[in-house]
Amino acid sequence: MGSATVVSGLVRASADGDPQAWNELVRRFAPLVLAVTRRYQLSAADAQDVSQTVWLRLVEHLDDLHTPDALPGWIRMTAQRECGRYVRSGRRTVPVDPHSGSVIQQPVTADLDGDMLRTELRQALRDGLAELPPREQRLLRLRAADPPKSYQEISDLTGMPVSSIGPTLGRCLKKLRQTHAVRTYLADDSDQRKPGRRWST
Amino acid sequence: MTAAHWADEDLLCELGAALREEEQVEVGFIRAARMAFAWRNVDAELETLGLDAGRDLASPGRVRGTGPGSPRLLSFHGERVSVEVEVDESGMVGQLTPPGPGEVTVITAGGPQVTVATDEVGGFTLPPTSGAIRLGCTCPAGHFITEWTTL
Repeated sequence: MGSATVVSGLVRASADGDPQAWNELVRRFAPLVLAVTRRYQLSAADAQDVSQTVWLRLVEHLDDLHTPDALPGWIRMTAQRECGRYVRSGRRTVPVDPHSGSVIQQPVTADLDGDMLRTELRQALRDGLAELPPREQRLLRLRAADPPKSYQEISDLTGMPVSSIGPTLGRCLKKLRQTHAVRTYLADDSDQRKPGRRWST
Repeated sequence: MTAAHWADEDLLCELGAALREEEQVEVGFIRAARMAFAWRNVDAELETLGLDAGRDLASPGRVRGTGPGSPRLLSFHGERVSVEVEVDESGMVGQLTPPGPGEVTVITAGGPQVTVATDEVGGFTLPPTSGAIRLGCTCPAGHFITEWTTL
């Protein structure tokens, strides 16, 4: 079952009134809404207001999504429009050039397709990680931390011999690549632009 | 360093970014998004007045003043009724069309907040508000609700 199919199921269940399905949609797509608000450089409080508007609208549009697979695109577009409106409304604090009085334009990067693909990839990685046994999840989390824990620190925390950490890590990453979620993400369509392609084989 | 090893590092790096991204979504965002579901089927029978995106611009001639204090025009349309609202820091001044007596209510995610009567030509004034809101309108043509938007 592809992630698009999973999303379709969640949209239909939410439309039928299932709050668990709605919560799962929120969990999956809240990072996307946040990513869009960041592109528009909204403060945390402003971003939260815009985010709430997006979700309130979605609640009423669940029945109108003729192709539920279109949900990620709908969320992105709605968030983008609402951020644009909000920025233009002037409610947000906007820097003004003190000499000319004109608004200093802030860069708003428009790579929203890239945002979408990266959001999908990251969701797949989180879902894939959740498929692994707790011990392996912990090892990957320690090594994926910023900054990554050293082998010595990992050994101290887990009791694993330092010499076995490298090979175990390699096996865990291989398993992560083979999880249902990550395989589905990579197989979902043939879009070669998808982030992650380069480490898929 | 082998290519396979480099790919592992790359994957770990992306995994780290994915985990931090999830941590960064604050509890408040998730809670508000979950609570939105309480609005499922509320007012579902009412006609929704859609936000006219093309009209949602700062007032002409006020572009220089874009920033706190400059009014914002919002225009909501349905088949029989429309609402135009000018929003600034002192509140909202609006017009129901067709003109006539009625009521307008500011609704937030928490529910109805304040209701005011429109004058005989459909004008109304509302106190300042912010966040995700919609307007509920009652007029001779019936009951209507606007799309949600952010003030």
